[in-house]
Amino acid sequence: MIAVLALLAGVVLGVWLDPTVPAALQPYLPIAVVAALDAVFGGVRAKLDRIFDDKQFVVSFISNVLVAGLIVYLGDQLGVGGQLSTGVVVVLGVRIFGNVAAIRRHLFRA
Amino acid sequence: MSAPRPGGGRQDRVYAPDFLTELFRNPLDPGYADAAAARRGAASPPPARGWRAWSTRSVSLVVVVMLGFLFAVAYRQTMADEPGRSQARSGLVAQIKERESQTDRLSTRADELREEVSRQRDAALSGTAAARLRDLEASTGLGRVRGDGVVVRLADAPDKADAVTGAGAGPPRVLYSDLQGVANALWSAGAEAIAINGQRLTATSTIRSAGEAMLVDFRPVTGPYEVSAIGPSSMRRKFDDSRNAALMRDVAQKTGLSFGVRKANDLTLPAAPEPQLRYAKPSVSPSPSVSGGRSGSPGSSGSPATVSPSGGGR
Repeated sequence: MIAVLALLAGVVLGVWLDPTVPAALQPYLPIAVVAALDAVFGGVRAKLDRIFDDKQFVVSFISNVLVAGLIVYLGDQLGVGGQLSTGVVVVLGVRIFGNVAAIRRHLFRA
Repeated sequence: MSAPRPGGGRQDRVYAPDFLTELFRNPLDPGYADAAAARRGAASPPPARGWRAWSTRSVSLVVVVMLGFLFAVAYRQTMADEPGRSQARSGLVAQIKERESQTDRLSTRADELREEVSRQRDAALSGTAAARLRDLEASTGLGRVRGDGVVVRLADAPDKADAVTGAGAGPPRVLYSDLQGVANALWSAGAEAIAINGQRLTATSTIRSAGEAMLVDFRPVTGPYEVSAIGPSSMRRKFDDSRNAALMRDVAQKTGLSFGVRKANDLTLPAAPEPQLRYAKPSVSPSPSVSGGRSGSPGSSGSPATVSPSGGGR
């Protein structure tokens, strides 16, 4: 409950402050969102599995976002362009899908 | 992320499933299971209370706030990008439309001016010289001509391609070489003036394709294509007997293109734009060898039955 409120507070903050993303960081934003989504669904699933751990959640969120950004940066530097970030999206997408399926099993018993 | 795998066997050597299999089987970060196992293993059910527990909780709350913030920022960023993109596109479309109408306006103006010039010239020149000039213009394609002839109509096959995948969109279309073949066959069948969709062909006209578009004299024409030709009455038969017509009939039968030849009386073919001579200079001495039959015969109007709509190229 508190987590949902905090999420809403963050959204309100983002809308209210309306920060402009520096152009250098813009390519990393979508991949960071995907990585963050992965951390969120992982956390929700862990909560439902009753093995949620605050530290693990924080570390997984930060490291996910950082590693995803790093991979995009690396892809740019190596000249493979978006292909490396495609890999990131695929891996994170699979994880999100699996976790959402687990959450669904928890919620609907199906 | 860490090495110990949950539920790993005690065997000496465990062949881990490859990364993707592991990913599909167990999408949750193994860290959660590890942490839970550690908590259980510590055998002290009440986890650390007080300041320490409170700080980890608050840190994770801060992370959740950051998450929301990130989502909002990313959403706004994407939304902010969108109008820019569509604006650029609609701006380009408007520019294209404007230039097209400008081109149309200018070409009608050029036609008007050309008419004006020829009228002025007729007024200035004596009767025979003006008539000779008109005949020459008619035979070279620079003057408007009238007469009986045939109209060859070619059209792309009806689009049976899948609208989604676009598969099979290739073959059943009229190719530039088809138009070239038809035009050449008409010339060899005795045509004295040919126009494709209202674009008069001259000695230097080109029929080619650029990508999807068909260009006649560097102006785009779109299907259905009507090749109108003025020539002797035997032209129809000669064209029908020609190899190109047979080929086109064959192609039409096999691919579903439409190909038709019909007789047309009193065709009017427009003048071609003035050619730009860059290297050749007109030699001044006039050679009075105008071959008799190739004068375009602007006066021989037949029965005014069907005025073929050979315009509408653009």
